Amino acid sequence: MSGATVAAGALQVAGALLAPLAAGTVQTLKARLQGRPGPTPLQPYRELRRLWRKSGVRPVPSTFVYALAPAVVVASVAVALLIVPIAGHAPDWGVGHDALVLVGVLALGRFAIALAAWDTASGFALMGAARDLTFAVFAEAVLVLAVLLAALPAGSTDLTAMSAAAAGTGVWDDPAHWCAALAFVLVALAEAGRQPVDNPDTHLELTMVHEGPLLEYAGRELAVLQWAAAARLWLLLVLVAELFGPKGGGFWVQAAILAATVVVLCAGLALTETALAKMRVLRVPLFLGGGAALCLAGLGSWLAGAA
Amino acid sequence: MSALLWAAVAALGAGTLAAIPRATLRAAIPLQIAGAAALAAGAIAVVARGTPVGAAFGDGLGPSFGLDGLSAFFLAVVSLAALPALLAAGDALRGSPMARPLIALTGLFVLALAGVLAARDALTFLAFWELMTLAPASAILVARRDAPVRNAVFVYLAITHVGGAGVWLALLTLAHEGVLSGGAALGGGLQALVIAAAIVGFGTKAGLAPLHAWLPRAHPVAPAHVSALMSGVMIKVALYGLIRVLLEWCAPAPLWAGLTLLALGLVSALAGVLYALVQRELKRLLAFSSIENVGVIAVALGASLVLADAGQPRWAAVAFGAALLHVAAHAAFKTLLFLGAGALSDAVGRLDLDRLGGLLTRMPGVGRPFLVGCAAIAGVPILAGFASEWLTLQSLLRLAFDGSAGVAVAGALAAAGVAASAALALFCFVKVAGLVLLGAPRTEAAAAAADRPPATRLALAALAAVCLALGLLPALLLPELAALAPGAIAPPSGAAIDLPGTGGLPPLGLVVALGLVAAGVLVATGRRGRAEAAPAWACGQRDEPALRWTSAGFTKTLRLVLESVLRPEREVTVHARAGVVAEVTHRAEVPHLFDTALYGPLWRGAQRAAGVARRLQSGSLRMYLGYLAALVVVLLALVRIGVLG
Repeated sequence: MSGATVAAGALQVAGALLAPLAAGTVQTLKARLQGRPGPTPLQPYRELRRLWRKSGVRPVPSTFVYALAPAVVVASVAVALLIVPIAGHAPDWGVGHDALVLVGVLALGRFAIALAAWDTASGFALMGAARDLTFAVFAEAVLVLAVLLAALPAGSTDLTAMSAAAAGTGVWDDPAHWCAALAFVLVALAEAGRQPVDNPDTHLELTMVHEGPLLEYAGRELAVLQWAAAARLWLLLVLVAELFGPKGGGFWVQAAILAATVVVLCAGLALTETALAKMRVLRVPLFLGGGAALCLAGLGSWLAGAA
Repeated sequence: MSALLWAAVAALGAGTLAAIPRATLRAAIPLQIAGAAALAAGAIAVVARGTPVGAAFGDGLGPSFGLDGLSAFFLAVVSLAALPALLAAGDALRGSPMARPLIALTGLFVLALAGVLAARDALTFLAFWELMTLAPASAILVARRDAPVRNAVFVYLAITHVGGAGVWLALLTLAHEGVLSGGAALGGGLQALVIAAAIVGFGTKAGLAPLHAWLPRAHPVAPAHVSALMSGVMIKVALYGLIRVLLEWCAPAPLWAGLTLLALGLVSALAGVLYALVQRELKRLLAFSSIENVGVIAVALGASLVLADAGQPRWAAVAFGAALLHVAAHAAFKTLLFLGAGALSDAVGRLDLDRLGGLLTRMPGVGRPFLVGCAAIAGVPILAGFASEWLTLQSLLRLAFDGSAGVAVAGALAAAGVAASAALALFCFVKVAGLVLLGAPRTEAAAAAADRPPATRLALAALAAVCLALGLLPALLLPELAALAPGAIAPPSGAAIDLPGTGGLPPLGLVVALGLVAAGVLVATGRRGRAEAAPAWACGQRDEPALRWTSAGFTKTLRLVLESVLRPEREVTVHARAGVVAEVTHRAEVPHLFDTALYGPLWRGAQRAAGVARRLQSGSLRMYLGYLAALVVVLLALVRIGVLG
């Protein structure tokens, strides 16, 4: 195992710690853009510390399904972090590096938290879960198409190979890669629960999607679930940067470029969240349908180029 | 080996006959279980050894039997699903006045399924094929005879027999042309006819859309263990026939055959799961979900044919292995879910999804395996459904990577469709698990439910263990299964599914990593001390039974999004008395569009044609003599101008 691989593994694990920072950075930038002083980027860590000191609540009626859900959600996001390589490198954690396995692992978390919503049968939790599952139907279809397009240059769904094949400017000559990047960003917004699909800062239960099923949780269980939400955002930022960001140089140069790309993506997210309001729930599938159309256009362009 | 298999068949036959006299009824189910177990052992041994036993396929008409790897795999699936079904049937039918005929018909049904798989000539195949259709139909009629059930059985028999003509046509043509024995190959036009007939004939029985209209009618009304066998294995036996025709007797199948199968599978997968999602009755929902899963299997088979046509034998074998893996996985979780549904209805009385709830704590012996089944059919990683869907998606991506333009677009669309159907299945079975197992009980019957007897619990727990095992060890099975394809090149074997061009699927690594993290989180969050019990907060809302979420409520967002596809019907009537609203009634339904838009006009057209034809039958002798005279004149005229003779 080379030094770069070990370092990449360390950075993967470090991502688990840095994830709340990315979420906090977006929050701070957004506040500045809206003319508010806003919290510091470290605010999410303070929230986690506060929740970590509180005791939990066991709603009645609830079963082991409710109690296990936070652990399953965290496990799914943590394993997903290990699947995504950093700067084109990743040690063999024994979980593979397949893009479609990543999709499945994220679905596991969605399954667990939706079941937890049923377990307390709280109306607002179920409303969020139902919307999340509805979006997922369209998001997964578009995600598979986007993975397909992004995998075309490498001819493989291995994320390490996909990242390597996307290096250089050559891939951008084909409009297919542009379409893949755009569609991927649309799906990532939906998967991470950001505007315009979902508003992570909302305190209005009626509009919640990803936050809804967390309403009953408290204390440490809520803390790990909030970490998981931040880590999912981090994961998608790294994935977009890894597949579509600029590359070059040795491992450390590439890692630095990756970090810069993630910061730029955070700024971009803050900008779009300032400019765009959350859309109506029933419009989200149309939004994702746009992603599907982009993917098919991209595939057409690729086939025309290959012919 | 064949001695063991014949002994197994003898035990099954004895078990079937023993159910008829009252005196030997007690021995019937143990005998049948012993027979099914021996059949499973024999079949697995044939798959493992890789050498066929008994006769090979012949073009003759005499009865001959034998097993090769492919038949033995399906036979193993059938007999392994029959074991828990028989165990649960013993509990469900104890004391029932119809126990004797139902147990006998169950044994007959298993024998018919085995007969289709072991038949080595066209006539034996067709005889068992018809028996396989009739045995469950009789079982349904024995168990229930109200008018809607009789109607469902009529539709089942009518559609499967009209469609089943395709099976007769295909097999008799193949036998006539000497293809079954491998001595001859079919030419262009005749091959196309046989393939089309096989897709219609076997597709009807497998429940491929749009030929599936009988399935959601017949499967829910059967006794639970018969439903489990129908949904879990009977429709797979139809796919076995399709595999034989397309991959063996008509090999190499033309490209259009693969693309047709891909398209039919995709429509079945999406339509099946969409209609499953909007059902309110558990068994009907499960029946629709079977259509989805047959669709996924058909997509994988179609991909295998197209990949073989594109000169990618290795990936064609992988897609074929994916199809067989999904056959095994679906047999495991669908048998589990149908038997679980039977156990629940025995305990609660009804399977209306909005009238259950809270059964995980009240019936843990049924509820926990049922939860595992829901997770497996939802396709979450490390359970039975994931690996086969992952492999199917990978094969479809391969079509897009390397195929010609048309094939690539078909592969991409199919991949997106399979992904969407997987997400819909997850949605659907979150709804099922939530409404049936979780939350507070919604009726007094659900609140008073007690666990089922040990045999049923054992059957369900064993099936849940199989779901887990299939999820953890697909890499061991895949090379074996892929090698069953005629002329296959097996992919490498190992603990992880490591295919070139993918990032690999290591189920064991995933389960270890997920388990370690989850255990760490549980320890860390649990360290804060035991959480206090408190009523669910629900944002301050009081827990009113009338405000609880229903099946329709949970799927409302999706129904609104897909309004133009599903065409839901909604009717709200406000009854006002002297200006005061006294009562509001609400009725909502999602009509099955295949019935209303496709079969409805067909049925009405047939009725109208029959009405016209009836006018010819005036009953007047002179009229009939006139018809005869007209016929003679027409025939003479045809001879005169040289068309005839």
